[in-house]
Amino acid sequence: MSEFDDFRERVRRWCADHVPPDWRTAQTGVSDAEFAAFQQAWFAELHAAGFAVPHWPREWGGGMSVGEQIVLYQELAAADAPRLVLAFVGIHHAASTLLVAGTDEQRQRHLPAILDGELWVQGFSEPEAGSDLASLRTTAHRDGNMFIVNGQKLWASGGAHADWCLLLARTDPDAPKRKGISYFLMDMTTPGIDVRPIRNAVGDSHFCEVFLNDVAIPAANLVGAENAGWQVAQETLGAERGMTMLELAERLGNAGFGWLVDECARSRSDGMRPLDDGVVRDRLAQFEIELAGLRGLCRKVVEGHDSGSVGPADPSIVKLFYSELLQRMTDFGVEVGGLPAHTVLTKSMSSGWESGAWALDFIGSWEWTIPGGASEIQRTIIGERGLGLPREPASA
Amino acid sequence: MITELSAEAKEFGQQALRAFEATGGDELVQRAEADPAARDALTGKVLAELGAWDLEPRSDSDSLEAAAALCRSAGYWALPYPVAERLSRPTDVDADGLIVVSDTRPAAAISGIDIDWAAVTLDGRRSRVSGMTNVEPAFVSHLDLTPLDGSGRGDVALALVLPCWTLLGMLDRALALTIAHVQSRHQFGQPLSGFQSVQFQLTDGEVERAGLEMLAKYALWSVGEGRPEAVDDALALRMAALEAAEVVFRVTHQLHGAVGFCDETTLSWLSRYSQPLRRLPFGLSATRDVLTRRIGRDGLTGLFSTDRATVS
Repeated sequence: MSEFDDFRERVRRWCADHVPPDWRTAQTGVSDAEFAAFQQAWFAELHAAGFAVPHWPREWGGGMSVGEQIVLYQELAAADAPRLVLAFVGIHHAASTLLVAGTDEQRQRHLPAILDGELWVQGFSEPEAGSDLASLRTTAHRDGNMFIVNGQKLWASGGAHADWCLLLARTDPDAPKRKGISYFLMDMTTPGIDVRPIRNAVGDSHFCEVFLNDVAIPAANLVGAENAGWQVAQETLGAERGMTMLELAERLGNAGFGWLVDECARSRSDGMRPLDDGVVRDRLAQFEIELAGLRGLCRKVVEGHDSGSVGPADPSIVKLFYSELLQRMTDFGVEVGGLPAHTVLTKSMSSGWESGAWALDFIGSWEWTIPGGASEIQRTIIGERGLGLPREPASA
Repeated sequence: MITELSAEAKEFGQQALRAFEATGGDELVQRAEADPAARDALTGKVLAELGAWDLEPRSDSDSLEAAAALCRSAGYWALPYPVAERLSRPTDVDADGLIVVSDTRPAAAISGIDIDWAAVTLDGRRSRVSGMTNVEPAFVSHLDLTPLDGSGRGDVALALVLPCWTLLGMLDRALALTIAHVQSRHQFGQPLSGFQSVQFQLTDGEVERAGLEMLAKYALWSVGEGRPEAVDDALALRMAALEAAEVVFRVTHQLHGAVGFCDETTLSWLSRYSQPLRRLPFGLSATRDVLTRRIGRDGLTGLFSTDRATVS
């Protein structure tokens, strides 16, 4: 018996009662509006049960222990529950930013609103500022109690649905590049914002370009001090990484791995199952080992965050390992699935990064080694901050 | 073996590159995707003008090298025409093109190309393509086959080798595009190409591509000589080509960043249209399986093999 048995049983019963049994079919090929409506409704259900933001502090509606969170994510994955795709930035990045660096007014304004369904997008990357985020060029000029913002943001996932944006903009063009950036909360209904979806290789358009033309943001929407936005982003994103990875690791370890084993257990036209092949069994065993390692790493980062024992490179290690493991597993799914796997060209909206539509899952897995700090950046962080190696030469 | 294609073949390949560029270059595949029925209209004329269908790669060694060079140039532009498949046509059967198919679910990227197609399995069973159904992305159709005869063993090697030359051309291009991208894209105050980790990823891709190029020439020579192990060599080439494609597209996508997955970039098109070549008639693990079964413990013959009787 474990201390979590009762809780696990409660989540399991809740899932049996609440996870729509046909959601995968119902969410395949749906319009953007139907997808958004489903996401909002599912978030509301989870929130009513107290399962939407388990990682938040108790006073704001969360307060689960790390162990309970793991159990929750395990059971949601095992029940093949839909994922919170649209709420992701709000419940993780925005909440983390507000909790760490926001004012009381900002927290009061936004944290309850997020629980009511307020959606967020990250406005960080720009055409000329990808890996080198600090070279961003979007400007914000102070004009009395307002900042006037001009520029362009790129790869803003979920931008078309967002109510609010976490925005990084340059407020002091003369300062060294990391010293002249400020962090804003931007209302997406403000005049001057133009959101244009970009169609990607998987065929969906959750990436967006966001054009900002004389957008007025109240100075009260600054997070942290003016020109201290880079430090705010560094602190909040590191803190949030462990939390998001906990869910993703359990999803990959339960649902994703389960899909892969199912794929390997399916009889082919010659009556054989991939699972009967020793090479396939070895690969599955290897994945199981790597998943155990990943889940352990994630737990260490989350618990270490509470106790202050997270190493400077630990979140990067988790992201690097997860992203490359996800690619290896989805790649193997494509390989085992063979030609038929290439003909599954629709993926259920609201599903995880691994959905069993292996070809699309594999292409989608590249979103993990490129954005949010490409693997090259993570390796640099691990080398410099984790191992104490010299900084890369010639960086300006 | 051939370590360099003849000067004439290389010149022919260069002419083809320029001719494809003049005909529309990267836009050809984009226009063909919008209207697969227009594939022939978009590319048939330039191929005929180049004299592509006058080549006789099965009977003439100069033609064989020219055919390889032409396929490579077609791959470079992801030309939306099954050039390698058409050049693989058999000589003793009245057909305009030949496709190697697997025993189950025969399919090929030939939709919209209305000529007389023949198909052959690895063990030499030939058939006619009597219909195409279920057109899927990247011009792939499922094939209805009408059995013909069992005399196609000699047809297989060339029909496996030439599509690998097409894929080689795609890898040439993917690397060229990425080298240009990392030289022009500046981050951290310098071009991406200034970072050693970026250089090393590209060199890993180039090592794969260069190895594939050499194997492609070896297999072409083996086919041209009519060597008994030509099908094994062709399968070994295919395996190397698929492995190289995985590394090269992995590196080139990673270094392009997110934009490489958007159709604004040529890489996105190349990588998508490389898929049929990499998956049909069988993917990497199936190719490896077939090759392993064929060569068993003997291994490949190769250039420097000794008499097995003396070593066993």
